[in-house]
Amino acid sequence: MSLIDYLPIAIMFGIAVGFAVASLVLSRLIGPKNPTPEKLEPYECGIVPLQDPVQRFPVKFYLVAMLFVIFDIEIVFLFAWAVRFHDLGWYGVGAVGVFTLLLIETLVYVWKRGALDWNIAHRRRRVVDRQLREAA
Amino acid sequence: MVFLSLSFWREAGGAMNVNYLSVAPELILTVAVVLLLMIDVQWKPGYRWWGIAAALGFAGAIAASVMQWVGHRGEDAAEYFRGMIATDGFSAFAGILIFPIAAMALMTAWPLVRSLGRRGAEFVVLVMIAAAGAHLMAAASNLVMLFIALEVFSISLYVLAGFTRARADADEAALKYFLLGALASAIFLYGIALVFAATGTTSITGIATFLGNELLFRPGILLAGIALLVVGLGFKVSAAPFHVWAPDVYQGAPGGVTGFLAASAKIAGFAAAARVLTVALDARIEDWAPAIGVIAAVSIVVGTLLAIAQTDLKRMLAYSSVAHAGFILTALVGGAAGVADMWFYVATYAVQVVAAFGVAAVVSGPQQGPAPLADYAGLSTRSPGLALALGLMMLAMGGIPLTAGFVGKAAVFSAALDADYLWLVVLALVAAVAGLFFYLRVVVLMYMQPAEGSGSVPVPLGARIVLVVAAVVTVLAGVVPWPLLRWLGEALPG
Repeated sequence: MSLIDYLPIAIMFGIAVGFAVASLVLSRLIGPKNPTPEKLEPYECGIVPLQDPVQRFPVKFYLVAMLFVIFDIEIVFLFAWAVRFHDLGWYGVGAVGVFTLLLIETLVYVWKRGALDWNIAHRRRRVVDRQLREAA
Repeated sequence: MVFLSLSFWREAGGAMNVNYLSVAPELILTVAVVLLLMIDVQWKPGYRWWGIAAALGFAGAIAASVMQWVGHRGEDAAEYFRGMIATDGFSAFAGILIFPIAAMALMTAWPLVRSLGRRGAEFVVLVMIAAAGAHLMAAASNLVMLFIALEVFSISLYVLAGFTRARADADEAALKYFLLGALASAIFLYGIALVFAATGTTSITGIATFLGNELLFRPGILLAGIALLVVGLGFKVSAAPFHVWAPDVYQGAPGGVTGFLAASAKIAGFAAAARVLTVALDARIEDWAPAIGVIAAVSIVVGTLLAIAQTDLKRMLAYSSVAHAGFILTALVGGAAGVADMWFYVATYAVQVVAAFGVAAVVSGPQQGPAPLADYAGLSTRSPGLALALGLMMLAMGGIPLTAGFVGKAAVFSAALDADYLWLVVLALVAAVAGLFFYLRVVVLMYMQPAEGSGSVPVPLGARIVLVVAAVVTVLAGVVPWPLLRWLGEALPG
């Protein structure tokens, strides 16, 4: 092992930094400049903002996003297994099966706990219903 | 077809060097966790079922650890799963220690669990997963495996620290713990990368073989890697100067869970440190031992001085845990020769800290974060049993003879003396005497001050059992420490 073995990493790093710097410099140099009040607004999604977003809005998508990440990561592990499928044989099938079962168990659990209810009011109503039932 | 597939199974398993006993505690706890959650979400049997599932899981994990101990104590490590898992007396003893401690902590936390409603099931599950991760840290035989175990363990603890969402200081504790813990994990991971760059392997025994056979002419990368590994583990065990998170986290976390945070982090962190330093990096002891000595000295001084200034029991115990981290590190300057002494101190301190925070959970409330010392004035008249238990734990932490704390301190000091660290021992002795001040202050407060509140303090059954067990262990290990010390001679990493 010597420093020369890390040369590809250094080149990769240089390309990454160079691309970012070149993009910024080039767009500043050759891009047309025609500012209007709309263009100077903070970028939101391409549409001119109608009002200041100083209000609370639900972020219920975060639960879905978290679940997505979990199953996304599962795919990473499955790829590693797929590459070595023949070497690992039935043992690999069994191991990956256990792994997948644990993930499915997680999904079933959070589903049952109401993590996939998009309508939060509905979820809250079910909680109230249950409390009433338990009180009765 | 079935027979065919079974033979395939064995063949692949043989190449992988699969051994289910080596991960049996983790497997048993995982099965218990899955059953606990699925049965709870389907039939909603409530907290009694959580208790049964947790008790079965921990009993199975302890039994598996005892089986490992019987088969592997005092022998060289046996490596399984392509060198990922090591089974030896060291990992077996870590299981025998961590699972009862976790069960005890869960018993003191039981009023908290019951007050959480349906979320209590997840609390119990997180304690079980954290315990499994802690044991895996002691059994990991590859730095990558060690990192995964560290994350399993730490992430569970971050969530536990902020489990009572209603209080802002619990949220603050969890966020601080998470951010600083994630930073520590990143530093640790960078250390793994640098050690890999220097030695070409992440296997702990592989690193030991490489460093034992090769002479590095330019060890800069290796030394930087060792430094980062030490810093990362120093964060986890709250050694100064990496301790700044500890007081806020211990004070803000709900009373029921603080004992587990403190005890399990010490056990898992020092188990990992002992295996990495005395096995993988044994050939480099001249490089890391002085650094460990300085960190130990700084921890002892900073922890002792700041503990004196505290007016909150949990905050005081947090700074005292910084000082104890220093005392435990004192054993490690001797390298492999000090591991048995480290184990004795860690084991007895874990019992003491679970019991002390258990008393705090009863007196100040299982949901509460802060535990002002004023609450403990005259506790001996309100609840003689609690005062006796907390007083005994304070004396043990202070290192009074006939308690386990005295034997532990004597053991780590002798380990440091054997390694010619006289300055460290003298400093630690002075600090130990100074530390007696704030431990005895609690005793004086409980026995010689008039009670602020009135009426007796009801003690839940779980906490009562834990306090009796902890008191018996603390006195027994202080009066007749030889059996335990002899066993620990066989609990060394190979």
